[in-house]
Amino acid sequence: MIAVEFRGVSKKYRRRTERPRITTLKSYFLYDLWRRRGRSPDVIWALRDIDLRVEKGITLGIIGRNGSGKSTLLKVLSRILKPDIGTMSVNGMVAALIELGAGFHPELTGRENVIINGIILGLSKNEIKSKFDEIVDFAELKEFIDDPVRTYSSGMYMRLGFSVAVHVDPEVLLIDEVLAVGDAMFTRKCMERMNTFKKRDKTIILVSHDLELIRSWCDEAIWLDRGLIKLKGNPSEVVEAYTKETL
Amino acid sequence: MIDGLTQLYRYRVLVQVLILRELKARYRGTSLGFLWSFVNPLVLMLIYVLIFSIYLRIDMENYSVFLLSGILPWAWFSSGLNESTNSIINNGGLIKKVYLPSEIFPLVSVGSNMLHYLLSIPLLFIFLFFFEIKLSWPVIFFPVILCIQFMFTYGLALIVSSLTVRFRDLLHVIPNLLMFWFFLTPIFYPITMVPERYHIFVDLNPMAHLMMAYQAIFFYNQWPSVSSLVGMAGLSSILLVMGLSFFETRKDLFAEEI
Repeated sequence: MIAVEFRGVSKKYRRRTERPRITTLKSYFLYDLWRRRGRSPDVIWALRDIDLRVEKGITLGIIGRNGSGKSTLLKVLSRILKPDIGTMSVNGMVAALIELGAGFHPELTGRENVIINGIILGLSKNEIKSKFDEIVDFAELKEFIDDPVRTYSSGMYMRLGFSVAVHVDPEVLLIDEVLAVGDAMFTRKCMERMNTFKKRDKTIILVSHDLELIRSWCDEAIWLDRGLIKLKGNPSEVVEAYTKETL
Repeated sequence: MIDGLTQLYRYRVLVQVLILRELKARYRGTSLGFLWSFVNPLVLMLIYVLIFSIYLRIDMENYSVFLLSGILPWAWFSSGLNESTNSIINNGGLIKKVYLPSEIFPLVSVGSNMLHYLLSIPLLFIFLFFFEIKLSWPVIFFPVILCIQFMFTYGLALIVSSLTVRFRDLLHVIPNLLMFWFFLTPIFYPITMVPERYHIFVDLNPMAHLMMAYQAIFFYNQWPSVSSLVGMAGLSSILLVMGLSFFETRKDLFAEEI
């Protein structure tokens, strides 16, 4: 069964430059460079003609340099952005560990925020109530759960956000460089949780600069370069080719 | 538009929870807490009573009650519209990270202020009781007027909030416009004080019809004008449909433009 399918997906961003484009010599040349390539400088194609199929249960790693379109790909996947060309379809619920604690209100307590955040991520009230203790235990925040979130340290904040997100139990999980949210202990717990996801035949899409993680943990990998899929296949091969080119 | 409505229905629990979040967060950490819902309109009312009943002398019996019957729903309209102007931008963090129908954000602004209005009604009742003004049957129109004002405000909020994402000037335009609108609406003066030849401007002002309906049922103990309510119901439904469809054409760009 196919969990995720991209058919000829392209996504463009329109630039909104506040300053006049040519202010320095450098930007003059850059501007000229853009023009010589025959592209309008006001439109940037973040994804270009992406064709991608991910089978259910596969863990897919995505690597690429900054600005290569990795995050845009995840945003299209979670339906935050609509492709300009092409279509994307997903089987089942998607949850994104993109930025944690989205929708946390600083004045409200951890308890209230867990409920709001859970509903934002697509859980029902009853589901949250039944998972509440588990979420709090996982975040290791039992004694602070009735304090306002503004009093939390950034680590506590991220842990709570992460904990809610992993308890959503989606079919497709998107992860964007968030495994490093806590100390070593917490990171290990997160990895365990991810492993149980894998075992339960869930689809995981992971964006990371940690090439070792991609190599050891993913079943497939793609290398994005300026919005195009440059290479696709076995993680070790993709990582090797990528390392060769970037070093 | 149908799509927008079904999405709103699907996310109704979220809307509920976000409205409660607004109300909880508003007074959290203050010592008066919920009482601020009474104190704020009370202070506003005292200022107007001081100016218009004592200094400028609008000759009217129980002026403070008259004032309160209109100023409370106006506060709902104006705060609701003001907050929704900024609602898409303010919730940019969420819109850029999670897939949600963005229609819910102006709805939360309008809805939380409506709830706020409903919670301030006891204040009006205290005044009615104190000045010995009787309520009777016309009050059954209250839910109807409430409903019309909700549709009117939400329709407007959808248009304004989606436009603000691109045209940030609206953040400054809307409060000024609302101030102007407030003075043009018979809230702190009765319509009888407006010279006859200017009545046409009051008639063309949708909020005037709503405010006069509130004053009719709460202050004058009269039936509100049915023809004006029917007209307002029609106008508000059209505005709501327009708002939902317009919002739909803009919302795909929000995640990029915020």
